[in-house]
Amino acid sequence: MNAPNRYELFVLDEGEKPVEVSEDTKIPNAATIKILKQDHTLGNMIRAQLLAMPQVLFAGYKVPHPLHPYFLVKIQTDGTVTPAAVLEQACTKLIGTLSSLEAKFKREFSFKDVEGPAVEDPYGTNASGTAWGTGTRDYMDF
Amino acid sequence: MQANDVLEPTVRIRDLKKDRVNFVLENVDLAFANSFRRVMMADIPTVAIDMVEVETNTSVLPDEFIAHRLGMIPLVSNNCDEAMRYSRDCTCLSSCQNCSIELSLNVACSESRTMDITSDHLEVILHGGHGWKEDVEDGEEMSKRVPNFGHPVGKGDPDVPPVLICKIRKGQELRLRCIAKKGIAKEHAKWSPCSAVSFEYDPHNRLRHTTYWYETDIKAEWPLSSNKTEEEPPRDDEPFDYNAKPQKFYFEVETDGSLGPQEVVQKGLAELQTKLANLILGLKSQPGDLDGFPGADQVGQQQPNGTNGAAPSGGWGGGGGGWGGASASPGAWGGATGAPATGAWSASPGSNTAGGWGAPTPGAAGWGTSPGAGSAGGAAAWSPQQGGSWGNTSPSHASGWNV
Repeated sequence: MNAPNRYELFVLDEGEKPVEVSEDTKIPNAATIKILKQDHTLGNMIRAQLLAMPQVLFAGYKVPHPLHPYFLVKIQTDGTVTPAAVLEQACTKLIGTLSSLEAKFKREFSFKDVEGPAVEDPYGTNASGTAWGTGTRDYMDF
Repeated sequence: MQANDVLEPTVRIRDLKKDRVNFVLENVDLAFANSFRRVMMADIPTVAIDMVEVETNTSVLPDEFIAHRLGMIPLVSNNCDEAMRYSRDCTCLSSCQNCSIELSLNVACSESRTMDITSDHLEVILHGGHGWKEDVEDGEEMSKRVPNFGHPVGKGDPDVPPVLICKIRKGQELRLRCIAKKGIAKEHAKWSPCSAVSFEYDPHNRLRHTTYWYETDIKAEWPLSSNKTEEEPPRDDEPFDYNAKPQKFYFEVETDGSLGPQEVVQKGLAELQTKLANLILGLKSQPGDLDGFPGADQVGQQQPNGTNGAAPSGGWGGGGGGWGGASASPGAWGGATGAPATGAWSASPGSNTAGGWGAPTPGAAGWGTSPGAGSAGGAAAWSPQQGGSWGNTSPSHASGWNV
């Protein structure tokens, strides 16, 4: 079979650059940034963060083909910063948000104790949880 | 979103159980919350059975059917980030204790009644019984494992009903061996730590992100979700606020038991940060920007998905992905043989002799197969699927199943 390894969807090839910036020739202060081996998870989050930043005039992302594991972000700024720099700021901001959220989660989890058993009888069979072969047989109650 | 710059995100856990957590996330963007959801479902590594060698199967189910079921069984994967390598990053040739876990199943029915084969019958084999594993030193990973790492979830716990694999009658038998590997759910859903993640916002549909079909009366025909008490219902005369943004997100993360809910949430946030940090790193190392890698050490340690995770150890790891990176080209194998591959593998290309692998007497230095010649001897059971260690990606004949 000639199917590519599926991990190639999210692992960079040897020597492959994770990011490629190409400046737009026709629009001022604009660039298209190709981010490899990433998908909507990162793309949409970055797009939203960029739009919230005042220096950004335009930000959009697309995954040109679902079988190609990369996405493009197009950014136009007002000229005070380069598109690449503003993308970096956006990422830094997001990391800040995430780490503060992480701390909050940690605190919340420490307050809560795990209560109760994992699942109360997920198959709805109350009879002997013991496995097979002990007279009463579960899984048969369906 | 403007408001989010001022307001810090907040979180409130409403319910925490052994296998699930229900929480409310506030003051974040919709895209942010959705990325968080996606990363928890698809980017957190766990362990799952990836290859199965069937020795005997006289049950009614065909081998591949059972192999697929085995792959779906959740295995305990706590601290999988550090406790296990990806086999594509490992320096071993096919599998070793650092990058895989061997399990065996050996059940025969001698009574005259139907017998259930369940995940409780799966036994983890420490230090490979039949010499199929390579002699590799224990990496640092081994010390970071919990005692029941790689065991089927709930094994030995009478409160947790086991996973049914197959049923056999008198005289039937199922005997097989499995290799479990680390992976993420982007590769195959069996590696997802979550069995379900529910995600809701705007229970009253104030934002009109959805439209309800109805016959006569929306309110009578559409029950509101249980999250309705968290938000004020809109007044009937309230004008539509088209600038409004969702602010409050209701999550319920339910795991399959391979990881706890807390670990899933925390690892999810960490994974997102790693992704972003790698992006920053990639931007900084752009040509023309000469300041190199100022933050090079901020990521790194945990081989994030999506990078050439520095292969753990020297060996051949030179180029990052090392072995796995070499992909399945037959040349990869030939290239490596010259290297420290040791005499143990009589890997001279062309010596297509010995059936090697599945043979009952593994004494004969096994692997006589020539690279690329996928044919090999009779029982080329373990068709290595990824990593391309044999330069042979085709799931082989005989009885080896890629799950």
